[in-house]
Amino acid sequence: MSTHDQEATRSGYPGPGRPTIEQGSGGRARRLPFSLLFGLAIVTLFVLAALFGPMLDGQDPFSQDLLNRNQGPSPAHWAGTDNFGRDVLSRLLYGARLTLIVGAGGVICALIVGAGLSLTALAIGPWLAAAVFGFIDFIRALPGVLLALILIVALGAGLSSVVIALGIAFSPFFAYIARAAWRREMAADYVTAARTLGASRLRILYRHAMPNIGGALITLAAVILPRCIVTESVLSFLGLGVSPDTPTWGRMIADAVPLVERAPHAVLVPVFCLSLLTLALALLGNHVRAAVDPLRAGDPSGRQRW
Amino acid sequence: MAALLDVRDLGIAFPAPNGMLRVVDRVSWRLDAGQTLGIVGESGSGKSLTGLALLRLLPAAARLDPASRIRYRDTDLLDLSEADMRSRRGSGLAMIFQEPMASLHPLLTVGRQVVESIRRHTDCSALEARRKAAALFDEAGLPDPGRIGRRYPHELSGGQQQRVMIAMALAGNPDILIADEPTTALDTTVQAQILDLLRSLQAMRGLAMVFISHDLAVVTSMAHEVMVLRSGRVVESGSTGVVLSAPESTYTQGLVAARRRLSVRAPAATPSRSVGPECALELRDLCVDYPGRGPFARPVRAVDRASLTLSAGRALGLVGESGSGKSTIGKAIVGLARPTSGDLTLFGRPLAGDGWRLSRALRRRCQIVLQNPYGALNPRLTIEQALIEPFVTLGLKPPNGRQSRIVAGLEEVGLDAGFLDRYPHQLSGGQRQRVCIARALMSEPGLLICDEIVSALDASIQFQVLDLLNRMRTARGLALLFIGHDLEVIRYIADDIAVMHRGTIVEHAPADNVLDTPQHPHSRALIDAMPRLDVTAPSEAEDGWRAQHRSA
Amino acid sequence: MVTLLATVLIHIARAALLVFGVTVLVFILVRAIPGDAVDVLAIEGGLTDSQAEAMRAGLGLTASWLDQFTAWCLSALRGELGESLRFHVPVADLLLQAIPVTLALGAASLATGFVLAVAIALIATLRPRSIVASLVDILNIWSIAIPTFCAGLVAILVFSLWLGWLPVLGNFLVPVIILGLDAAGQIVKPLHEEMKELGTAVYIRTARAKGLHPLKIVIGHILPAAAPVLLAMTGLVAASFIGGALTMEVLFGLPGVGSLAFNAVNGRDYPLIQAVVLFLAVAVILINALTDLAQRLVDPRPER
Repeated sequence: MSTHDQEATRSGYPGPGRPTIEQGSGGRARRLPFSLLFGLAIVTLFVLAALFGPMLDGQDPFSQDLLNRNQGPSPAHWAGTDNFGRDVLSRLLYGARLTLIVGAGGVICALIVGAGLSLTALAIGPWLAAAVFGFIDFIRALPGVLLALILIVALGAGLSSVVIALGIAFSPFFAYIARAAWRREMAADYVTAARTLGASRLRILYRHAMPNIGGALITLAAVILPRCIVTESVLSFLGLGVSPDTPTWGRMIADAVPLVERAPHAVLVPVFCLSLLTLALALLGNHVRAAVDPLRAGDPSGRQRW
Repeated sequence: MAALLDVRDLGIAFPAPNGMLRVVDRVSWRLDAGQTLGIVGESGSGKSLTGLALLRLLPAAARLDPASRIRYRDTDLLDLSEADMRSRRGSGLAMIFQEPMASLHPLLTVGRQVVESIRRHTDCSALEARRKAAALFDEAGLPDPGRIGRRYPHELSGGQQQRVMIAMALAGNPDILIADEPTTALDTTVQAQILDLLRSLQAMRGLAMVFISHDLAVVTSMAHEVMVLRSGRVVESGSTGVVLSAPESTYTQGLVAARRRLSVRAPAATPSRSVGPECALELRDLCVDYPGRGPFARPVRAVDRASLTLSAGRALGLVGESGSGKSTIGKAIVGLARPTSGDLTLFGRPLAGDGWRLSRALRRRCQIVLQNPYGALNPRLTIEQALIEPFVTLGLKPPNGRQSRIVAGLEEVGLDAGFLDRYPHQLSGGQRQRVCIARALMSEPGLLICDEIVSALDASIQFQVLDLLNRMRTARGLALLFIGHDLEVIRYIADDIAVMHRGTIVEHAPADNVLDTPQHPHSRALIDAMPRLDVTAPSEAEDGWRAQHRSA
Repeated sequence: MVTLLATVLIHIARAALLVFGVTVLVFILVRAIPGDAVDVLAIEGGLTDSQAEAMRAGLGLTASWLDQFTAWCLSALRGELGESLRFHVPVADLLLQAIPVTLALGAASLATGFVLAVAIALIATLRPRSIVASLVDILNIWSIAIPTFCAGLVAILVFSLWLGWLPVLGNFLVPVIILGLDAAGQIVKPLHEEMKELGTAVYIRTARAKGLHPLKIVIGHILPAAAPVLLAMTGLVAASFIGGALTMEVLFGLPGVGSLAFNAVNGRDYPLIQAVVLFLAVAVILINALTDLAQRLVDPRPER
């Protein structure tokens, strides 16, 4: 609400004699909000770039040209070159692919580890659930970046270990949301009714709880995706990314930082792209949340918190 | 003499998917000092919005008819600036609401909330305000008025919370008290106490009151004049005695008749003897404990050595106030709560030996319908999907005859095949409750537990559901355990009545005996507190009062 | 009173169990890292194989994991966290030097974010159509979309290198502002949503029916009711700072726990990693416990 303009006004009241149904706001088609269009456009652009960019660009992201090191933007190299004379734009396009794969992979992994594990445990029984959540509390007690850092060092650098590390680091969010949604569902009258009809816990899970929990999880996934991408870039920045010579954006930034004075473009271009992508994903996430938001709809007490 | 409050052509509309929807339409009435106006109507009649409009507290989406006038003393409240209106709220007009628990700030002490009200309207020191608050608590009949202010709302009972609300409303010395369903959320005995309090406060302070309720009996026991609202329009208004004894509109006649009908027994109350007097349910010294709060807290005894019997074709009414353990008994029977000791026998099968587990076969014979029809159906499943559930979960046979069974079940409860593809939100409360009953009857149970199943429904719908159950009972020899707090409803349907108080059954006897010659003092208190439709209601203003109803 | 004491005891026991579990987890993870400190030193210092073996034995790295773990636990209980394998100074000393830096950075950023978030949420609730109200979404999107290290990099580039206003290393103000904005963005959105929703609560209608001024309602009724959410979010952000401060410390050359952890992991400095992680885990658990306690204090209702 707004405390101050809560006041009901007298304008817009249906006139006397006229039917209660008025032509008005309902008739017009709603325009899509700008933030949704912007987010969609940017994400589509980056996905297309990740898919086809390396083919169209024609430059080799790995070929070194030591005579043209740290060059600013030019017709030959639109985004300049880095410290080894490699083309920044083509590395950027190639990096988009890795960045998106790692981000999406991390979210999916977190969804499977966090939600899959906790829901299975909850459906099977309270004791197993207590054990699983005890474990998740352990994970939670370590800061995400630090946990991912240790995991990557332990598993060895590489695409799959980064995905796994991100998945484990973000899994508690999914587990807690799944548990909260499950508890709310179990308290719902229709689940009580189902229990008196002799429905098993497993049936309650997939028939009654899953549709509502699913919405909450999708919403969370949309919110976590940009955070996953950012965390990956932080890890790369700290030197623990996919591998030293695969150019994710974080890696490109990290490699360019020591020479930031001589070649600021090599830092700024990936920083800009990274921010733009996460911005677009964040905007889309907000819209997903508004569209799905199953926990808010219907049950005003069941608020979503994470 | 000019009226204290003169409402003319009040109209409220809300934006709806296809235009503006008028929910209150050209409602006019006046209220004199010291008088009470009762506004009666079912849900959706616009009665609560009418009350909120007086304080200009309508939701932001609401639109007021430009012709509306709310004249209080010599100003039109609708013409005031927001700041001027604020100074009238609480001091000129004050309001109390339906659910006292939700109406009090949960994280502030009640004393602080009342003191805040006092200091808003009178210029006084904090100490003085605290003293005044204690006086108000005393006036509102709260125990230990000097110290109760340090408590938080959740530490008080529902009745005490409403007394706090009343004290808060009186803090600004208002002329008019608007009471919006002030006792609906309370137990009957507490309701009677709060109504007494309101009456005495009105007499002491000369308050004018607008009393809004769905319950005709409650309103007429309070009001000098009554206005009946339906779908936002005034269908009847006049002095209480006249409206009750000679209602003009068919709607009001229906309301009065509905209330009167409840005061007699259901038409087919004699059970059909076609089925043998098989014992459907027997409780022997059943105890149910709930775990206490906190890890080492002692368990709380919800049901204490309860013994009951119910045979096929009979209806047993289980009455008691909230927290008396009546719902817990229902839950224990269907396995939603685990008894601690005693025994529970369903159709001759004792459950204590089986670890209180109901076999599938027993589950089919013993079903429950829950209180809230709005929550008991999964919003994402169609009615057909909801009705198929028992076939899957209870392993019921006929797979090809399923469709026709479902349709037959729907028709049995007065719905038709057209409802199959609908979702619960497209149904009214009464229709949903019928679907719930149909679902419970799918497995052809011999015992149906009805846990407060009509208390969320409007009076006119309550009946239809009760009559439906009664028909089922005679047609199928169904045993009914009818749990409720409303003695009128129980009287209508029950052969026997068991009265519960703090976990124990204090009286268990044929309905007439309990109602006419109650043995236990608690049963007597319950019966005395029952709101009655009394034609000789307080109505000193029989001098032809008529609301200025300018619908033409 | 007895139940309250029992609850507190159970909380402490649970926290202790968590700390122990985290210690085991980290011990195993750290030992699973391929290569050890001696390998790293061997590459850097050119040790022969036999020299390396002797060094391992001297450092106790040849013993079984279980023996290493019990040895470490026993000394940790005495308050001895061992000696850094690389810097040859007691780990505790390194940690004690680093903690104040991280604490100052975290506390200053959190305070900035908290004050900013509360102020913006208050104004946005009171004046939903004002410019401040749109700041809620802008700040929130900023905190999600702009990684702190990106903001830090750009800030260094612009303010230190191009404009020359601030020193590149050891600068405290810029990281505090960046982390503060990040915290504010994370806190302000849920807080504002909660306050908006609470505005429709029945008891807020009661407050309006009393004739209270909107400002008084927002500060005296809505904000206290939103306090549990505010505290929960602040606790979450505080816990996340322990990781988030890491990049800031590395980037701005602040000698805090984050820099220490970074160096320790890269150098396979087992005792140091173990100690840093233990410290961070205890800090997170402590923050969570404090959040819990604070929430109980503002909300007197029994847990549902």
